[in-house]
Amino acid sequence: MIIEGQVWRFGKDIDTDELFAGRFIMVGDERDPEAYKRSIIKGAFESLSTIGKGNKNIPDEFIDAVSRVVSGYNKDVHEDKMALKGHIIIAGENFGIGSSRQQAAEALRFFGISACLAETIHRIFFRNFWNLNGIAIDQRGISSIFETGDIARVDLQQYTVHNLTSKKEIKLHIKLPAEFIAMYSEGGLIPYHKKH
Amino acid sequence: MGMTIVERILATKARRDKVVPGEIVTVDVDLSMTHDALGAHTIAKFKELTGEHGKVWSKDKIVVILDHYVPSNTIDTAKKVQNIESFVEEQKLTNYHGIGKGGICHKVLLEKGYVTPGKIIAGTDSHTTTHGVMGAFAIGVGVDDMAVIWKTGRTWERVPETLLVEVNGKLEEGVYSKDLMLKILNTLGVDGAIQKSLQFTGDTVYSLSIDSRSVLTNMAIEAGATNGIIDPDEKVVQYLEGRTKKEYSIIHGDEDANYEGIVKIKAFDIHEPLVAAPWSPANVKKVSELKGTKINQAFVGSCTNGRFEDLQTVAQILKGHKVAPSCRLIIIPASQEVFKEAAENGLLKIFVESEAFVSGPTCGPCMETHMGILGPEDVMISSANRNFRGRAGDPTAKIFLASPATVAASAITGQITDPRKYL
Repeated sequence: MIIEGQVWRFGKDIDTDELFAGRFIMVGDERDPEAYKRSIIKGAFESLSTIGKGNKNIPDEFIDAVSRVVSGYNKDVHEDKMALKGHIIIAGENFGIGSSRQQAAEALRFFGISACLAETIHRIFFRNFWNLNGIAIDQRGISSIFETGDIARVDLQQYTVHNLTSKKEIKLHIKLPAEFIAMYSEGGLIPYHKKH
Repeated sequence: MGMTIVERILATKARRDKVVPGEIVTVDVDLSMTHDALGAHTIAKFKELTGEHGKVWSKDKIVVILDHYVPSNTIDTAKKVQNIESFVEEQKLTNYHGIGKGGICHKVLLEKGYVTPGKIIAGTDSHTTTHGVMGAFAIGVGVDDMAVIWKTGRTWERVPETLLVEVNGKLEEGVYSKDLMLKILNTLGVDGAIQKSLQFTGDTVYSLSIDSRSVLTNMAIEAGATNGIIDPDEKVVQYLEGRTKKEYSIIHGDEDANYEGIVKIKAFDIHEPLVAAPWSPANVKKVSELKGTKINQAFVGSCTNGRFEDLQTVAQILKGHKVAPSCRLIIIPASQEVFKEAAENGLLKIFVESEAFVSGPTCGPCMETHMGILGPEDVMISSANRNFRGRAGDPTAKIFLASPATVAASAITGQITDPRKYL
């Protein structure tokens, strides 16, 4: 399992309210997956551009890129051509703090974010992101070797993360259980359980 | 080497003799809970997993409670409630608490005796950690995880290291379990217990009522903990008398259990009530440091501090006073049971006479749901659990967290106020 992508460097204490504010939780009908996806993306963009912008721990350019994702969905652009497809978030301590609202993790996955690596990650967010077929890893020191715009390579065979731009490297302490790898390769928790 | 209470519960529910921190185990779930905020979402995921006519693993082990957006505030909410109610009927779920039939999920689970020692409880709400107060292992999960639990009755968990917080000594007058928890959060920081089990012990903790103790386990999540827990004593058994007929066996931690760390706190070191300032529950100040900070909304309620004893304290402070003209006070009993008790004891009359706004049980202005939402630059003092930017409305509004006593005293003066002069 190796993924590569452009890095967005976030600050610390990114909470679920700034990723997805309370007022949008009841919006969107889960029984219609396409409409639901659009409503989550829109709610997350509005949360980020009000609360997220005020917290200043998310780059303004990221929020601009999210606005391009929103307009991409409105114009029916193919998902693979979206502004944040395959991008990687690298954050400080306490990423995903707060609520169990899965919309916070869903929004990032719907934007196209493939991995969230942070100094520390909140447990519920960690689980939600893996369940939705994203990679979430906490590793001390990770945020000090990346800047926004760098290219990261996450190698889950060698358990390393490379900064291909600055040539720096960090070893991961995490050892993923076999079930995680199986779940990831089969598309996430629900597809995995459908099969087994 | 022995095991902590959490390790013992996880070993039992993984049907093993022993587990060690860091291991991933698959465990049986004894009780699952969802609410209006994530219920429809869980149902959609469950149907994706099992097909339109899939059956849940147990119709008696799922509790569904409406609390965040009650009564329905929008057509979208009303549609989700319809969706939830048809699922409850379709699956013949036996534990449904609709509007007027329950209250805030974490209060209802406790007072209806759903939670007993030694059990594993999973809820689609981060404050599910509350239920560790009964000596259960209680965790918040997302909706995909819950869909799998509904199908299989099982989930996976990484066995957490246990961080023990030991509190000894007597709390001073005007200092409550909320002040104690703010002190603990200030000591640990918001990621001080990340991915760990936070266990509370010491004579101060055991001297508290179950209601007061539950403030500690409720806010364990605010330190990033997987769960919060208190090894159960006789008070837990007494609390359950008359609330459940189900048999349960208490699980305790071993004398020689291994703790990753022990944090000792002296209760009498908390000389005065505490307040968490924006934007973090760990950004804690003494009430005297914030004295005079103007507020225009005060809120007593939530799964943290909307219990009968909280309302009693608030009534004691409000009696004979009125809420400041520049301020609004919103008081929300956490459950129908608390509401009834408040009515029977004349508390509601005191609240109304003091010009507080009183509502039936709901999560209320704890977060930006459907009532008491903050406008630009508003300042709220709240007995709830989070004060992130934008948590309860406009991102420029500020939230201070405090005990119900400090909230009530502040409502009278319209500024952050030490409650002790009203006691």
